[in-house]
Amino acid sequence: MPKYDKMAYASADEMIFGSAKNPVKYGRDFTVGGGYVYPELVPHPRPGTESTKKTLVKEYEKMVTDVLDRCVGIGIPGIQIELEHVYQMTKNPEWGGEIAAATKHLQEDYFRKYGLKSAIRATVADYRKPDEEDIRNSVALENQLKTFETSAAGGADNLSIESVGGKEISDYTIVRQDIRGTLFGIGVLGSLDMEFMWKKIVAIADKYGATPGGDTNCAQANVAMFMAGGFQDRSVPHTFAALTRAIAAARSLVAYEQGAKGPSKDCGYEDVIIKSITGNPISMEGKTCACAHSDLLGNLVGACCDLWSNEAVEYHDMFGGTTVAVFAEILGYDVSLMNTAIELGKAKDLQQMMIHSDKYRDTHGFILCPENAYEIGKAIVANNTSYYARARAAAIKSGELMLGDSKLQISAFEKESLESAMRTLESLPDKEEDFISECTDIYKKLIPGFTLANYGL
Amino acid sequence: MATVANYANIFVRYDLIGSGEAKGVKVSNKDSAMQKVLDCVLEGDSDNIAAAVNEALASKDPMTVINDGLIRGMNEVSRLWDEGEYYLPQAIVASDAMLQGLDICEKKLGKALEKKGTVITHTAEGDIHDLGQKIVNALLRANGYNVVDLGKDVPVDEVVAAVKEHKPVMVTGTALMTTTMTAFERISKRLVKDSNYVPFVCGGGAVSLEYVSGYELGIFGKDASEAPGMANDAVNGLSWSQLREKWNN
Repeated sequence: MPKYDKMAYASADEMIFGSAKNPVKYGRDFTVGGGYVYPELVPHPRPGTESTKKTLVKEYEKMVTDVLDRCVGIGIPGIQIELEHVYQMTKNPEWGGEIAAATKHLQEDYFRKYGLKSAIRATVADYRKPDEEDIRNSVALENQLKTFETSAAGGADNLSIESVGGKEISDYTIVRQDIRGTLFGIGVLGSLDMEFMWKKIVAIADKYGATPGGDTNCAQANVAMFMAGGFQDRSVPHTFAALTRAIAAARSLVAYEQGAKGPSKDCGYEDVIIKSITGNPISMEGKTCACAHSDLLGNLVGACCDLWSNEAVEYHDMFGGTTVAVFAEILGYDVSLMNTAIELGKAKDLQQMMIHSDKYRDTHGFILCPENAYEIGKAIVANNTSYYARARAAAIKSGELMLGDSKLQISAFEKESLESAMRTLESLPDKEEDFISECTDIYKKLIPGFTLANYGL
Repeated sequence: MATVANYANIFVRYDLIGSGEAKGVKVSNKDSAMQKVLDCVLEGDSDNIAAAVNEALASKDPMTVINDGLIRGMNEVSRLWDEGEYYLPQAIVASDAMLQGLDICEKKLGKALEKKGTVITHTAEGDIHDLGQKIVNALLRANGYNVVDLGKDVPVDEVVAAVKEHKPVMVTGTALMTTTMTAFERISKRLVKDSNYVPFVCGGGAVSLEYVSGYELGIFGKDASEAPGMANDAVNGLSWSQLREKWNN
C-alpha cells in the first residue's frame, strides 16, 4: 500500500542539485545529497570478457583502475562506481561478489594513497520472466537475492535493481499506444512486484550494513522514451512516453516506501518527482549518457541531481584514454561546474540555465522540469489510496500540464495521441479492484502467460 | 527569474516542419461492407473487425475480402507509416486487426493462406529484452510470413535445432546487451558447420553493424521495420551475403 502522503519540499524552488533533505552517507567518506554533487561512473565490459569469471573480473579491475587513475589525475574529489551487472554476474552470484570485492579493494587502495572518496553501487540484473515463470519463486529470483548478498559481502555500499514486474503487459501495450494497459503494467503490477522485491532487498542490505538504493523503471518507461526517440522517430508518440514516465514515478516510489534510502538509480528519469516526495538523494543521467542512448533533456535532467552519471560506457580505447577514464573526466568536470556554482552562491542560476535548455525541447523534459515534477508529485501524494489511484493521478496531471502550457509545441498527431489517452484515463474506474478486474479480463486473452499470481493477486 | 526570449537559438523543433501537411488515407471501397473492413484495418479496430469481416463475407468470397479489404488496408497502413503519418503503434494495431480478420477468412476458406515462407525469431540467451523481437514478429506476420517464435533467453542449441527442423528462409536474433549478443556468433558458427547458410538478421539495443559483420551469415538489422523487406529478399533468392551487401552497405 502507498505510504507517502506529503511532499518533502515546501516548493519546487527548494530543490537543487547536490542537496537532499535526507543525505546518505556510505563508502569511504562519501555523502550523497549532503551539499555537493559527485560523479557516478558506470563501466561496461567488452563483449567476450563475460565468458569466464577470470576474464570478467580482470576486465573490471582494469576499468576501475582507469577510472580511479583519471580521478586522481584531474583532481576529482570523489566518485561512485556502479557495477551494473551483466547477466553473467547475477546468474553466477559469486561473480558479482568477487567483482564487488575487487572494486572495493582498488577503491580502498586509492583512498589510502590519495584520500579519494568513493563508493560502490551494485545493480543486480533482474532476469525473471513474468510471462514464463513464477517470479516469486524462481531460480532467477533465488540467484538475484544471492547476488545481492555476495555483492554486499564483497563491499557494495548501495544495492539497487531495475525490476521488471509488469513488463509482460507494458511490452504489449506501449507499442500499441494503450494507456490503460500501460497504467496496469507499470502503475499496478510494477508497484506490487516492487513491494515484494524491496522487502527482500532491504532485509539483505540491513543484514550486511549496506544501503538499499533504488529501483528504476528502465524496463518500461525508458523503453517508451527510447522508442519515442528523437524528433524524427515515429515509434511511440513523445506525449505517450511522457505519460508513461509520470506513471513510473508512482511505481518507483515503492522502493522508498519499503525502506530504500537512495541515492536512486541513474536511469530513473522519474527520480526528480521522487526526490520531491521523499527528499532522498537521486542519481541522474543526461548529456553524459549519450554513449549509451540519446535523450532530449540532456541538461535539464541534472537540475536536482545528487550523483551525475553516464548510464554505461563500454570499455574501449579513445584518443584521450580509455572510454571509462574519458567519461570519468567528463562527469568530473560537469560536477565541478555544479559544485563551483554552489560555492559561489550561483546554484539556482545554473539550475535555471539547465532547465531552460530543455524544458520546451520535448515533452519528457517538460514534465520533469522541477516545477512540473513537483506538481506531479503533489498529485501522487494526494491520491495515495492505492497504487492505481496515484499512478493514474500522476498521468492525468502530466497530461494536463502538457496541454496547459502553450509554449510546449506539440504536433497535431502527438496532441491527438495525448488527448485520446486522457479520455481513456478519465474514463477508467475509480476503484483499484475494479480496474484490476477490467484489465485482467482484457489482457489474459491477449498476453499468453500473464498471471495475477505473480503479483500476489 | 530570467526568461528566454527566443528558444530558436537554443533548439529547433525539426519534427514540426511540415507536420501540418497531413496526407491522409488514399484507399476506399464503394462497397460499404468492404469499406468497414478497410476502416477497421486502417484504424486498428480489433473490437469491430470480426463483425466487419463477417458482414463482408455475406456477399463476397473470402479471397476478395482478404485481398481488397485486409491486405489492401494493411498496404495503406504501411504507406502511411513509411511517409511518417502513422507511428509504429498504428502499424501494430492494424496488424492485430488484419490478422484477426484473416483468421476468420481462412476458416471460411477451409484452409490457411499459403505463407511466403517461415522465419524463426529469437532473443539471445541471457537476454529477456524481447520487445524488438515481438515487433518483428508482428510485422512479419502482417506481411504473410509464418513466424516460429522461440521467445527470449533462448539457448544456442535450441536455435540451431529449430533451424534444422523448420528450414526457414531467414532467422532473426535480438539482443539488448553486448554481453548477450555474443551468442549470435556461436549460432552462426554452428549453422555454418552444418553447411546451413540461412540469412541470420541480428539487431537490437547495443548490437552493431561492426559486430554483426564479423561473422558469417550475419546481416545487421537496424530497425524492426526492415524485417519484412529482408524476408522478401530472402524468399526471392538473395543469399546472406547478398542481403548484407544490399541492406548493410
